[in-house]
Amino acid sequence: MTYNHITSISSLPFLFWQRFLNWLGLAVVIEIVVIALLFVVGFLVSEHFRTTGNVADIFEQMTGLAFVALGQTVVIITGGIDLSLDATIALTSSLLSGVVNGRADLAAPMIVAVLAIGITIGLVNGALILTLRVHPLIITLAVAAVIQGFALLYTLMPIGSMPDGFDSFAFEHLFGIPIGAIVAVLLFGLVGFILIYTRLGRRIFALGGEPIAARLVGIPVNWVVLFVYGLSGLCASLTGIYLVSRLGIGNPTGDTNFNLASITPVILGGTPLTGGRGGVLGTLLGVLLVQTLNNVLNFLDVSTFYQWMIQGLIVIAAVSIFVEKRRRVA
Amino acid sequence: MSTTVLAKPKLVSHRVSRVVERNGLLLFCLLLTAGAAIFAPGFRSPNNLQNVLTNAAPLGVVVLGQCLVILVRGFDLSVASVMATAAVVATSFDYSTDWSVIPILAVSLVMALVVGSVNGYLVTQRRVSPFLATLAVMIVLQGIRFAWTKGAPSGRVPELIRMIGSQAIHSVPINLILLVILAVFVGVMLERTAFGRKIYMVGGNPRAAELVGVNVNWITFLCYVLSAILAALGGLVLVGYVGSVDNWVGRGYELNSIIATVMGGVSLSGGRGSVFGALVGAFVLTEIFNIALLLGFPVQFQWVVKGVVILLAVAVYLRADRSR
Repeated sequence: MTYNHITSISSLPFLFWQRFLNWLGLAVVIEIVVIALLFVVGFLVSEHFRTTGNVADIFEQMTGLAFVALGQTVVIITGGIDLSLDATIALTSSLLSGVVNGRADLAAPMIVAVLAIGITIGLVNGALILTLRVHPLIITLAVAAVIQGFALLYTLMPIGSMPDGFDSFAFEHLFGIPIGAIVAVLLFGLVGFILIYTRLGRRIFALGGEPIAARLVGIPVNWVVLFVYGLSGLCASLTGIYLVSRLGIGNPTGDTNFNLASITPVILGGTPLTGGRGGVLGTLLGVLLVQTLNNVLNFLDVSTFYQWMIQGLIVIAAVSIFVEKRRRVA
Repeated sequence: MSTTVLAKPKLVSHRVSRVVERNGLLLFCLLLTAGAAIFAPGFRSPNNLQNVLTNAAPLGVVVLGQCLVILVRGFDLSVASVMATAAVVATSFDYSTDWSVIPILAVSLVMALVVGSVNGYLVTQRRVSPFLATLAVMIVLQGIRFAWTKGAPSGRVPELIRMIGSQAIHSVPINLILLVILAVFVGVMLERTAFGRKIYMVGGNPRAAELVGVNVNWITFLCYVLSAILAALGGLVLVGYVGSVDNWVGRGYELNSIIATVMGGVSLSGGRGSVFGALVGAFVLTEIFNIALLLGFPVQFQWVVKGVVILLAVAVYLRADRSR
């Protein structure tokens, strides 16, 4: 943004880099640098860090977060927020393992059913936001409470099991990369394509940037809202399925802490909470950054408690810095 | 002549609807209590009524603070974390003597002061959205608490705090008396002092408040600090009631306090509502939970009730807001 005026004088390679950096965005560049630094630190502190097994581990661990963060990104671009993720994951994961209960013939239909449930929860969120016209924060929290109640009414403890081979979604590797991670990256690509190259994508950005103008120029705002929350619900149920695949059983308690965790990579990736800007590439790198950081901290023997602290501090730092930038421009 | 005939019933109905609109929750509270007394026999036993009041008091204390923050167009999601931290502090001193209450109170208040200041600083100076600022502070505080207790807090709550939290004088719970004192304090502050009126101005129209010379940032900052302090007191009262400590004392109070405040008619867009309404909200919420239990619904059902209640409250007040 600030270096646009250089264009005419500068030499061609320099221009290319300017354009390239502009296209990527400052946040993404910072993320790449930080991830590189983390890898350097990882290499220095432990020889286990550089093993391919550990790198695959990082990919494995980031998959669950990647799905919800993807949905959260698109919601946040429209200026909303989705806090029903944990509850959706609790309901979908416990229903999946509880109903299937080891029977292989039920696995496929239940996966479809669980995805449908996720989408439905998202659509309910969207519909209530549109009809009540209250901040999505309140609506999604309220819906989350109801969904969480359903999950706990269904079961108080993890129950059921999945048939053999279901864990391959989380643990099987294709060309050395976990299948779950491949699915996640493909989904990121698809949503990124929609955001950048389709009319729907432009409408999502328009809604976040200028909600009133978007409505005035005839964008079907209602459909856009339903789409983004439906997508977020779908992503949450994918995370639910992934967690069942990874842990072998669903967890109804909803203490997975994905509500905040999904916002962290979005903010790190340069999508402001006010919406209208940003993208999914930054979020994907943000997820990678968070997971790499946790991985390095684990090698440094830092306890989970300090990792929470660090996560909170990162969020605070990221939000404060981006705000200062916006203020200086204005 | 025809006009007077027409005007009269219109006026009466208008008046009735206004009374209902103003005191809707209070009427609902009375109806709910009457209904519960008839249909759930366990409800009207003096023991149960005392129980409801004792349960509502810690929530009420937290609601006082939440109400202030919502009045200035904010949210405080860190209240539950502050409550749990105060509870952990309460068990970190020698429990055999009542004098330990003084350091407990001092440390809790300092902790709350710091947390509230960080919230206020982030919201007013860094322009972070209140939701994200208080959520991140909540996580940091949770990390500090777990690291401090090494994940497993232990220790006993001093007798004095136990007594305040769980006992009653002439069947009036002591924590309820404490709540009333705090509520009167906050209520008078809001209604009868310049500071209180400024809070309404800031919430109602920050730009106008700024123009007439109100220090908007300072008022907002103070509301966050007060909210944290009240949450710490609420945590002490709650741990006195529960009697034992873990790292999650007060879990769910962030959402419950927001629900109670919104139910009590405090507008989420700021600047409208009263402490009295918010407190009635806290009592109604506790009463609903209690009735659901008495009617034999499982505890988990509270979650569903919570969600439905907040959606209903939002929908009802929204209509009132629009018609105004």
